[in-house]
Amino acid sequence: MDLTRLILAILFFGALVGIYIFLFLKNRRTPKPAGCENLKADCDGCKDIYCPNHPKEES
Amino acid sequence: MNRMQNFKNGLIKDNPVFGLYLGLCSTLAITTSLNNAIGMGVAVIAVLILSNVIISAIRKIVPDDIRIPVYIVIIATLVKIIQMLIQAYAPALNSSLGVFIPLIVVNCIILGRAEAFASKNGIFDSALDGLGMGLGYLLAVLAMSFIRQLLATGALSMTNPFDESQVLFHLQLIPEDFTISMFSAPLGAFMTFAFLAAALSSYKQHIQRKEDEAAKAAKIAAAQAAKAAKEAA
Amino acid sequence: MFSELVALLITSVLLNNAVLNQFLGLCPFMGVSRKKSSALGMGMAVVFVIVAAGLVTYALYYLVLVPLKLEFMDLVTFILVIASLVQLTEMFLKKSSPALYKSLGVYLPLITTNCVVLNVCLVNISNGYDIPHMLVYTVGTPLGFALVLYIFSAIRERLEVADVPESFKGNPVALVVAGLMAMAFSGLAGII
Repeated sequence: MDLTRLILAILFFGALVGIYIFLFLKNRRTPKPAGCENLKADCDGCKDIYCPNHPKEES
Repeated sequence: MNRMQNFKNGLIKDNPVFGLYLGLCSTLAITTSLNNAIGMGVAVIAVLILSNVIISAIRKIVPDDIRIPVYIVIIATLVKIIQMLIQAYAPALNSSLGVFIPLIVVNCIILGRAEAFASKNGIFDSALDGLGMGLGYLLAVLAMSFIRQLLATGALSMTNPFDESQVLFHLQLIPEDFTISMFSAPLGAFMTFAFLAAALSSYKQHIQRKEDEAAKAAKIAAAQAAKAAKEAA
Repeated sequence: MFSELVALLITSVLLNNAVLNQFLGLCPFMGVSRKKSSALGMGMAVVFVIVAAGLVTYALYYLVLVPLKLEFMDLVTFILVIASLVQLTEMFLKKSSPALYKSLGVYLPLITTNCVVLNVCLVNISNGYDIPHMLVYTVGTPLGFALVLYIFSAIRERLEVADVPESFKGNPVALVVAGLMAMAFSGLAGII
């Protein structure tokens, strides 16, 4: 593997990660529209209670 | 002893597959033979331990805001490395597992453990947790493929994953006229899974009931002891 | 050529269904199928994300990765593209269409780790599809997913009131239903 391809690979990878992190943060800071603040997907397919989409059990 | 308890829970009671219902896709798809199950199980264990160790090692330097993107990148890189190793050294396994090796990236067990355990605990504990959860997954796929291969082909067999022409063992336990080919089809996969999950759920209910009864008995005994002490005084 | 594409469409929607034959996307299949309305929202969100991700990853693979001989980066590239697209779509819906956000935007965060999406991107490449085949496969697979999810949610609404043995309650009985659906769908095998 020659040096140019290595540099290109790292640049491409960095660009993708950069775009993703940028969009992730941008999306986080975009407020939810009115009326949707408490909407949740409530997916109970698995019992992974740490998943943010897992409905919290009342106990 | 808490560590040991965690480790044991991952195997049976909180088994990631039958207890928590994580990683269902690959469990149902690849469990047609013992070979596939062991190959997939070992690949998942390797990715899980490595990702847990790396994520635990960098947990203090990753900003909380962007931790999920970071986890996804780490896991994807690890899976690609494992996939390339399998392609190079076990091509037969690679072709029979197919797309399910790269799909380990989106296996919820890995991201779930990263988020729930490795991001909060030390390196050694995280590695142990990865091993426990990974063995739980291996146990689950082995149980599934044991039942499915035995009932669908009547035989239990394994070949050397690094050299497919070398048969390790081949036991024809059920005559070929009496096999149920349904068990290699999707219906068999769903049914086998449903019955194993129901068995675990009924075992858990049994334990729960026993614990409840023990707690009740202890409460009554304590109340009686208190009463006796009162009367004596 | 045309009949071949129609055959591929029928195969990817019905015969080689993502959920029932390939066991993909089982987590949302079990998780978001309690109500018909949520199944519909999830199904539409999946169709949208898969079509977008399929097109973008196909283009990136043949226009960037192949000329630069970086094919080994396919997996990392695809998962990052999918994750970015999910974020972009969610942000776009939040800003422009609250109604649409309400019905399908809430399911978007669940899609990043949905194996159907990554599977479509990978299969487009590994089967060496040309552009028409890629388009048909990319549209057909999520349609099959959405169809089965909707049917399953309709069955599950009835299942809620059924008398199920204690240890089968919840997911096990849902898996039995999925198995029976797989058997019913295998009866369609004679179509083509």
